[in-house]
Amino acid sequence: MDRLGTFALALSLALAVYGATAAIVGVRRGRPQLVESARTTAYSMLALVVAANLIMEIAILSNDFALRYVFENSSRATPVFFKVLSLWSADEGSLLLWNLVLAGYIAAVAFRFRRARPETLPWALAVMYLGQVFYLVLVLGPTQPFAAFAVAPPDGRGPLPLLQNHPLMAVHPPFLYLGFIGFTVPFAFAIAALVTGRLSDAWIRTVRRWVLASWIFLTIGLMLGALWSYGVLGWGGYWAWDPVENVALLPWLVATAFLHSVLLQERRGMLKVWNLSLAVGGFALTTFGTFLTRGSILSSVHSFAQSPVGPMYLGFLVVVLLGGFGLIAARAWRLRSEARLDAVLSREAAFLGNNLCLVLITLVVLVGTIFPLLDQALTNRQVTVGEPYFVETTAPVFLVLLFLMGVGPLLSWRRTSLDRLRDRVAVPAAAAALTLVVLAVAGMWNLPAALAFGLAAFVLVANGQEIVRGIRAFGRATGRRALAPVAPAVARDRRRYGGYVVHIGLATAAVAITASSVFALRSDVTLTRGQSTRFAGYSLRYVGERTVQQPQRRVLIADVDVSRAGRDAGDVTPSLNMYPSASEPIGTPSIRYGVLKDLYASVIAFDDSGNRATFRFFLNPGVMWLWVGFGVMALGGLLAAWPPARHRRVSPAEPPVRELAEVSG
Amino acid sequence: MSERATSESTARHPTRLGGRGRGAVWIPVGVVVVIVALLAGLFAFGLGRNPTVVQPVIVGKVAPAFNLSRLDGGRTLNLSSMRGQVVVLNFWASWCADCVVENPALRSAFQRYRDQGVRFVGVSFEDQSGTARGFAKQMGMGWPLVSDPGTNTAIAYGVTGVPETFVIDPDGRIVAKTIGPVTYSVLSEQIAHAMPGGA
Amino acid sequence: MADDRDAGSRRGTHVVAAVLAVALIAAAIAIAVIAARGPAAPATLQDRVRAVAVELRCPVCQDLSVADSPAPLARAMRARIAAELSAGASPAAIRDGFVRSYGAWILMAPPRRGLSLVVWVLPLALAVAGCVIVLVAVRRWTRDRPGVSPNEPSAEAPDSRDESPDLPAADRRLLDRALAAAGAEDPE
Repeated sequence: MDRLGTFALALSLALAVYGATAAIVGVRRGRPQLVESARTTAYSMLALVVAANLIMEIAILSNDFALRYVFENSSRATPVFFKVLSLWSADEGSLLLWNLVLAGYIAAVAFRFRRARPETLPWALAVMYLGQVFYLVLVLGPTQPFAAFAVAPPDGRGPLPLLQNHPLMAVHPPFLYLGFIGFTVPFAFAIAALVTGRLSDAWIRTVRRWVLASWIFLTIGLMLGALWSYGVLGWGGYWAWDPVENVALLPWLVATAFLHSVLLQERRGMLKVWNLSLAVGGFALTTFGTFLTRGSILSSVHSFAQSPVGPMYLGFLVVVLLGGFGLIAARAWRLRSEARLDAVLSREAAFLGNNLCLVLITLVVLVGTIFPLLDQALTNRQVTVGEPYFVETTAPVFLVLLFLMGVGPLLSWRRTSLDRLRDRVAVPAAAAALTLVVLAVAGMWNLPAALAFGLAAFVLVANGQEIVRGIRAFGRATGRRALAPVAPAVARDRRRYGGYVVHIGLATAAVAITASSVFALRSDVTLTRGQSTRFAGYSLRYVGERTVQQPQRRVLIADVDVSRAGRDAGDVTPSLNMYPSASEPIGTPSIRYGVLKDLYASVIAFDDSGNRATFRFFLNPGVMWLWVGFGVMALGGLLAAWPPARHRRVSPAEPPVRELAEVSG
Repeated sequence: MSERATSESTARHPTRLGGRGRGAVWIPVGVVVVIVALLAGLFAFGLGRNPTVVQPVIVGKVAPAFNLSRLDGGRTLNLSSMRGQVVVLNFWASWCADCVVENPALRSAFQRYRDQGVRFVGVSFEDQSGTARGFAKQMGMGWPLVSDPGTNTAIAYGVTGVPETFVIDPDGRIVAKTIGPVTYSVLSEQIAHAMPGGA
Repeated sequence: MADDRDAGSRRGTHVVAAVLAVALIAAAIAIAVIAARGPAAPATLQDRVRAVAVELRCPVCQDLSVADSPAPLARAMRARIAAELSAGASPAAIRDGFVRSYGAWILMAPPRRGLSLVVWVLPLALAVAGCVIVLVAVRRWTRDRPGVSPNEPSAEAPDSRDESPDLPAADRRLLDRALAAAGAEDPE
């Protein structure tokens, strides 16, 4: 079994090497058949990598403990669902998944460009194949998932308890990988553009949708990570500014900046070098993220155990940085484009501000994340850079970004007269002012939070207003009424409306984040059986403890009755999970989700007899809207990415065109 | 994507290579190389160290005072009463696997140095007194053992887990801290170093 | 008729301007009121403990503060903070005590001293540098203003080239102009 898997991987490596070589030789020697064969190699390579992954899954499901990976990450008692997930729960297996996603992207690129062949395709393919070579070498060399024992142990150790606690483990890594690895595509095409000298807008148009796809996957992946932190880890929060969390955020920020700045290059020809840098930088950040997660240079909740591959990741990162930025420095530095800005009061300026803010946040978070390393290297002392730092340094920039999200849609391209701006900003400004007044009257003292709420109101109303206005204008121009213009107006301009929807989602998430950070209530309390405590308007009574024995763990559940104003409101059942392999129990929180607020309970400890239990109760306002906001963002992204309808002949007899003929006289 | 679009967009946004001579390209390339080299150096340094090991800052400082009651219910034990002697302070727990590992080393060192006026003290860390006493008896920990209510003493000594062992010199200063199980050779070296006139 | 429309639109403009002015003034006043209110003094002991504990890092759980961490050591540290606060110690003294025992890394954010000052100053320096760069670039880019070329899409017209590439070019231009004329945007 292990030999079969290794064979599949080795063959894939050979194909990847062939693909890269054939693409490069083919394009340099002018042999298109060679390039074509390099393109189609992607399909067979994908098939082989899929096979390798399937072989590993079969090994796990059939309890083949001769494979060291299966032994270390699965056991007979592990439920089937979590057995399937253990493919990516640890280093070696997750690298198999990484290879699968990368091979999938290469095949997708090969398929997408099977007819229209941009000149940059051969070099882009070569770069992607070379990336695949690196990750295949990893799984065939130092991080072998198919390493085997001579004698198969009777049972496995089982996955890490934390990783088999919750089904969210199923989707959080795959979505993140889909997002991270998607950055390979813009990087590859950027390198190809640099190498071939085709530095006009072609490569931008080619990769735009791929970046958007990565962005959508990363958005969902980040949301799932936050959801897991909140619902599974039990400390009551959803983001801890953990180094590994930070490096997942960085590519998302860069992708967001890129999605805006490509528009500036397409429309006004500006920021060419900047866009190349963002493409290279985004991919470098995902590579750095891999290095940090697996090379364990920083301590983190996520760090896989110490592995010997750190130097290899570092080498790959150096190659990416030198190759990418070196090429930019050598080739694109002297690019002069006829960039033109008609006025400062324009959407272009807002986009510039957006890029400035996003890249600033990226740099600050990056420096903050690696600073402990730098400090120790220079002073041999240790410091921590944690939440207070990141919040204090990035919150003001996020506020500016909120403002831009509201004012950008209100500005026109090229130039906006003050009159026009005044007309458009009046209602959103009124909404913001109303929000601030209400908060001031209600006694709010936290100014940054108040500004966040006010600006979020501004963004929500501004983007909503622009959606309505755009649809109405389209309806007027084409003579459709009521809801009829909605679909065609939006379909005609998916990027714009998608963007508005994303802004609305992000503003919603901002409200949720602000509310839950500022207005959360907490209580630490130890209760004896039958004792009640009052918390946040609830009465919470500890009923007792019960034990549930499952094949892979023993669960101690605390039953707590919840009542409000004398009426029963259900119960919460936080628990402690005792796994045989763990010295300490893993807690599972119990959450009563609500539209306005969540009641969150976790049990910290039981005394021996279960007569006393120590609890932490939280009241988290608004967290529901965090998930809603993220969902809306993803939907907005999907809307923006939706491909145009098939070509339809527009005959002169069709009413819309006839009306236009009338209008234009 | 199509060639038509390419030439269209190029016409819209003409791209010229501004000229400053070919030699000038080495400056930006050089900057990139230098920055990448610095980063690589920093990360290589990062690979070479264990991120979970924290440098102890308490070494060299005055040992925090304590006055703790014994596990077996005897009189309290006061650190200041041991002034003028080398003190080995060991934090342990019954649930700690590494404490089992280091136990032989501790016992050997205890036997070796007890006649030279070196005092051994074991502080129970986040443990129940019943289980702790049982563990100590099983392990043959023959030196004074105290309990640490509220984990206050451990916090004062900057303890993050068990086992951790401190060596305090006769002047009351901490001269060594070991995180993780001690070995006999390391411990005896630390004790010898702490003794008056020790090398 | 044109006069009526003009008069009507002038009145409309006045209303809008008035709304905007009121909104801006109200917002400014609200912000001033909120800013002038200092933070509420922490009411209970638990709140005061939390205020100190959020600045300390749990030694056991990575990246969680002593306030958030469920670990036993963090609970013990919170109890100790409570005891010291009750005894009248200041939050700064309590923090310093922990730093003496554990070292500077026990603080959730690096001290604003020595080399760590760099990490605090850097965001501000980067922000200033970024603003300067953007302002200089904008200045350079707005210096020459060409007239509207006939191939450019009219302002605010959606990017029809990408979204409706199937429309024949003539129809597309018609549609753009019609949209512009219908009030989506005045061509500028």
